[in-house]
Amino acid sequence: MQELSLSDLGLALPELFLACLGMVLLVYGAFRGARAAGEVAVIGSLALVLVGILVLTGSVERSTAFNGLFVVDAFAVFVKILILLGAVLGIVLAANYLKAEGIQRFEYVILLMFATLGMMMMVSANDLIALYIGLETQSLALYVMAAFHRDTLRSSEAGLKYFVLGALSSGMLLYGASMIYGYTGATGFAEIAQHLEATEGPAAVGLIVGIVFVAAGLAFKTSAVPFHMWTPDVYEGAPTPVTAFFSVAPKVAAIALFMRVLADPFGELVHDWRQIIIAISVGSMVLGAFAAINQTNIKRLMAYSSIGHVGYALIGFAAGTPEGISSVLVYMAIYLVTNVGTFAVIIAMRRRGRAVEDIADLAGLQHRQRGMTIALTIFMFSMAGIPPMAGFIGKLVVFGAAIDAGLTLLAIIGVLASVVSAFYYLRIVKVMWFDEAAEPFDKPADSSLGTVMFVSALLTVLFVAYPAPLIDSAAIAADALF
Amino acid sequence: MSESYLLLALVGLPFLGAIVAGLLPARARDTAGQLGGAVAIASIAIVVSVLPAVEEGEVLRLELPWMPSLGLDFVLRMDGLAVLFVGMVSVIGGLVILYARYYMSAEDPVPRFFSFLLAFMGSMTGVVLSGNLIQLSFFWELTSLFSFLLIGYWHHTTAARDGARMAITVTAGGGLCLFAGMLLLGHIAGSFDLEVVLASGDRIRSHPLYVPVLLLLLLGALTKSAQFPFHFWLPQAMAAPTPVSAYLHSATLVKAGVFLLARLWPVLAGTETWFWIVGTAGLVTMLVGAYVAIFQNDLKGLLAYSTISHLGLITLLLGLNSELATVAAIFHIMNHAAFKASLFMAAGIIDHETGTRDIRRLSGLNRFMPFTARLAMVAAAAMAGVPLLNGFLSKEMFFAEALSAASPRPALLDILPVAAMVASAFSVTYSLRFIHKAFFGPNPTDLPRTPHEPPGWMRLPVEILVLACIMIGILPAATVGPLLDVAARSVLGEATPVYSLTVWHGWTLPLLMSMIALVGGVVIYLSLQRYLQRGVEGPPLIRRLEARRIFDRTMVFLSWRLARLLEGLFGTRRLQTQLRLLLFVALLAGGLAVVLRGPGPGNLEPAGIDPVLGLVWVIGSACAIGAAWMAKYHRLAALILLGGAGLVTCVTFVWFSAHDLALTQLLVEVVTTVLLLLGLRWLPKRMVGTGTRSPEVLTVARRLRDLGLAVAAGVGMAALAFAVMTRTPPDLLARHFLELAYLEGGGTNVVNVILVDFRGFDTLGEITVVAVVALTAFALLRRFRPAPDSVDVPEQQRYLRAVEAARPDRREGITVADWLLVPSVVTRMLFPVICIVALFLLLRGHDMPGGGFVAGLTVSIAIILQYMFGGTAWVEARLQVHPLRWMGAGLLFATGTGLGAWWFDRPFLTSWFSYLEIPVLGTVPAASALLFDIGVFALVFGATVLMLIALAHQSVRGHRAVPRVAVAARAQPSSPAAAQPAVAQPAVAQAAGQGGGG
Repeated sequence: MQELSLSDLGLALPELFLACLGMVLLVYGAFRGARAAGEVAVIGSLALVLVGILVLTGSVERSTAFNGLFVVDAFAVFVKILILLGAVLGIVLAANYLKAEGIQRFEYVILLMFATLGMMMMVSANDLIALYIGLETQSLALYVMAAFHRDTLRSSEAGLKYFVLGALSSGMLLYGASMIYGYTGATGFAEIAQHLEATEGPAAVGLIVGIVFVAAGLAFKTSAVPFHMWTPDVYEGAPTPVTAFFSVAPKVAAIALFMRVLADPFGELVHDWRQIIIAISVGSMVLGAFAAINQTNIKRLMAYSSIGHVGYALIGFAAGTPEGISSVLVYMAIYLVTNVGTFAVIIAMRRRGRAVEDIADLAGLQHRQRGMTIALTIFMFSMAGIPPMAGFIGKLVVFGAAIDAGLTLLAIIGVLASVVSAFYYLRIVKVMWFDEAAEPFDKPADSSLGTVMFVSALLTVLFVAYPAPLIDSAAIAADALF
Repeated sequence: MSESYLLLALVGLPFLGAIVAGLLPARARDTAGQLGGAVAIASIAIVVSVLPAVEEGEVLRLELPWMPSLGLDFVLRMDGLAVLFVGMVSVIGGLVILYARYYMSAEDPVPRFFSFLLAFMGSMTGVVLSGNLIQLSFFWELTSLFSFLLIGYWHHTTAARDGARMAITVTAGGGLCLFAGMLLLGHIAGSFDLEVVLASGDRIRSHPLYVPVLLLLLLGALTKSAQFPFHFWLPQAMAAPTPVSAYLHSATLVKAGVFLLARLWPVLAGTETWFWIVGTAGLVTMLVGAYVAIFQNDLKGLLAYSTISHLGLITLLLGLNSELATVAAIFHIMNHAAFKASLFMAAGIIDHETGTRDIRRLSGLNRFMPFTARLAMVAAAAMAGVPLLNGFLSKEMFFAEALSAASPRPALLDILPVAAMVASAFSVTYSLRFIHKAFFGPNPTDLPRTPHEPPGWMRLPVEILVLACIMIGILPAATVGPLLDVAARSVLGEATPVYSLTVWHGWTLPLLMSMIALVGGVVIYLSLQRYLQRGVEGPPLIRRLEARRIFDRTMVFLSWRLARLLEGLFGTRRLQTQLRLLLFVALLAGGLAVVLRGPGPGNLEPAGIDPVLGLVWVIGSACAIGAAWMAKYHRLAALILLGGAGLVTCVTFVWFSAHDLALTQLLVEVVTTVLLLLGLRWLPKRMVGTGTRSPEVLTVARRLRDLGLAVAAGVGMAALAFAVMTRTPPDLLARHFLELAYLEGGGTNVVNVILVDFRGFDTLGEITVVAVVALTAFALLRRFRPAPDSVDVPEQQRYLRAVEAARPDRREGITVADWLLVPSVVTRMLFPVICIVALFLLLRGHDMPGGGFVAGLTVSIAIILQYMFGGTAWVEARLQVHPLRWMGAGLLFATGTGLGAWWFDRPFLTSWFSYLEIPVLGTVPAASALLFDIGVFALVFGATVLMLIALAHQSVRGHRAVPRVAVAARAQPSSPAAAQPAVAQPAVAQAAGQGGGG
């Protein structure tokens, strides 16, 4: 064992910076009280940007710290940037919403920062213990965030439900981790991989059970079927900016963690865990496609949509190849942008000072808020995977990777599911453009929502013209796992 | 190469125009029209300029890097087939733009229309020029998208909305299938580049995935080309403005499907599967479309079904696996585009000038718009296949093919010509009906507008197209011969057959068939007069069998019933159900792995079971089951039973010589039980049963299910634990610690050495967490508001008070004091003893069971005992412990010990150990870790006491709150719930102040 050294700290500088600043801001907020909310939000988002710069300027070569507990490589850098992007947008989207709902507290930003910290640790975890600590750091903050609007029943219920189910799944994950430790004698990913390489013949059944339980715990965090049940309730109940944040950053982090855990230490057992991934992928796609059709609440719809998108992303993962992993990263990046844009629209859905969430409330929006309508139309087309929107490229790379890996049937199921899901995305488009106009929404207090919508829409449309940077960097990131 | 950049302009210009048009103000009808016209003219100019090169057999290519890491480049590729299609798209596009300028009314937002139309034109050009498969499906989806917007252009009408939605559902759905097919096709060919794909025909046809690929691609192509059974969206799409119909349903959208079939003909055709699927779809579509077209009462509906029928004809030709038929198909694609576009425009003129498209209301228009009538007649004659017009030529070729097709089943050879003739006769019939009903007969009555000739510019496109029909019809070889030749060559390559493009082939069988069809068509029309007069909507026999309705039903099923079913099955808002599902799936997945692989025998034999330990375990299990049973009915009993189970665990640890573990377990067990008991006070009381009535069947079933789940989870856990324990553990860390505990940590109590030395940093973190948790618990309980139903004093105390009140000689509270006198004296005397024990445990912790954590819990127990027997008020009055100071001191002490190591130039928390000679006690081990342990002790003690105070103090506060609540409730009977917390607050604050002070 080596002692703690300065280079270790240097490698984890972004995380350390975020953790320290989070605590400083917490104390600052605690002393300054309610007035601190605005200042903390500004400092927090600037800090997240700074963390992003630190991540980018840091090492991209694979290097480990803290006796191999913590790893930084291109994969981690790529995913961390996505997470930080989601987090910054989570603060930006929330600013006016929280104020309007009367729940503008500085703790929101602090919790979000700690959740982000946990996600970054998850992504950099190189050991089952480190993984668990990152996961719980994230989850605990998220539980509270879900219940942030604590005076409403729905939000409290969402938080409680998320907590109870999340605790159960964390327990499963921990149990699986201890099984893995019991059968391999190691918690470090590198050691587990070594052990598996050294073992001849099929893997011990206990190890498989362990992997199953770890996968179940992670599937819960990604809200993949059959561990998705909490998603609609939590998405609906949580304050909308929190839902927006939930639907991007933790999801990206959990999928990244999923890939790191299964592809890195258990790369040898790809044929064993691939079945799990395929099963949950198919389940998620089908359920996401069908169950969403029936929804009238747009947040619930987005919940099912996110379940479906996780299913598509997992198709690429099931391929188990570097192309597959990179396709997942591309998919998640595109998903993040599109989803944040969509939620910017949902957050802007306020009528006479109150948030409205029904799809019917969007009726005839084009007569009133043309820009918003166009933006949401672009997002919906992108989610449905209709060219030339970015979502099409996402589906393209994912399905392509699956077919190259010989998973033809899975790709076909994916295509069929996206046909079905196109139905409800297009329904929203139809409601906005063709239905009788409902009352207009309130003008947003400032331009932040509009800016987010505009930039996301622009990225979604123009991505197709110059996709190379994202696709190339995702490929580099994916290579780091192999 | 500058020429290849022209291709980019060809695709890019329309999109550019679309963007510019979209930015124009809504009234800029002329500007938008001119812009569109300019784009179309530029496109035509480009096509003309590259035509010579293509005619020489050159394939123009433009490659731009797109997604190089995926091996995907943006490739534009122009060969004969592409040039033919681009020509058609831009020429007819230009004519439609000119026509639309006059057709669209000034009230419509026309720039938007042109914007969509140009974008559609660009997408269509993109489809035909695409040089790789992915790009092709990309533009393919774009055409679906823009056709959706065009069809739904008049979105204020329901018909337009429904038509647009249906069109996009069918075509975009098919497009996604196409996309999947393209991915597979590229996978088989090894590249998405069209050149490579076109060159690997044999490999594709013999590949095991050929049939799935074919099916997926055909789903795409047939939906787009409105082939049976996907034809239903096209008539619905007639709700679009007529220029859109003229464009989409003559030359472009629906032709994309047949374009794809022709494009991939070299690689996919030539198999029996192809023949059966494509041929059958084409044949059925041709017949059904033509038949239904006869009975349409809407001019555009008639044309729509006729389009379906003609596309069926083209599909059939492509499906025949014959080179000559393919040439005929390509030829008919051109001819159909020309006459159908002009007919749609003519129908649009009629609609525009009369206000209706209903055949039953139209009549005698020949007198009002003679010129238009002549044009329409010629175009309709071309559609019917009258000689000297273009339709005749391709139909002639079709008949020849129908006669000579090489079919896998000889019987088909008899059917095919007959079917061809029948369809052709139907086509004559509906053409005749179109002309006869609209232009002849008596003067029309009650038309919405007075009919007259349209503006000259509006008629010009029709004139040009009709002229083309005639020119091609008379001089085919001179007009379109070269173009057809180069297109056919680009599809068929070396295999291009010799064909003759002349009007007169002599007295041949096909000519005879044409004649029969013409005469037959007239006869059918005459014999149907009576039926048609009745004006019934839809054709006889199959009127009820509407694919559209089936589609609607299917959509309702998929979108509503199935969705609801699935949601009901897999979605639930109830937490318990969700938990159950989660557990169930985990059990299933884990169990499945075990069942599939088999657990395999363990390599360690379980040792025999000592009967005494067995008995202890029976008691423990009974306690656990009892706790589970009582949890619902009697929480107190359940908690006590849980304690019993915990004790059995302690005994087991002792049994297996893990006394340190046992000690910790025991103390934790005691402290948590007491803390839980204190909390229990505030939960609702035990559930009162609903009487003697036996529970309902459902309830019983639910409980049984929960029981089963619990048993399964328990058994699963036990089995897993057993499986792990009967195997030799891998070389774990345990040995490492056992060996090094004394050598490096100077202690023989390995657990304690790990805690305070090896893992000292972790422990420091953990005690910090304990401190934080204690503070949080305190902070939360400080503002605790008891539930209204548990504010009241417990039943037992009420009873005692009643007794004391009834007896004037007894002071309040004296009974309890009497009862508890002996135990309270005993516990008070025990207090110092326990403290000494704790000290003992603390000091010996490094070598023997004990340690700071255990010692801290022990002292806490001493205080808990005081609470239990002395009562909260008594203890609070005397307790001089300041938990916060203890915690702070502990934390500082532990950290200080760690920092102390720096003094000696060692890393943080490095420990030092030795033995000290202390006068009375003798030799005691003295390690710096002991100091650390003292810190742990102080902190654990402080934290436990703090939580204890916070919890125990609730009982005092609850009593105080009661009378005030009662008063408040009386004062404000309307809102007791609202009043209660407000009143309780001062008491809470007061109590908190006391609690914090200790």
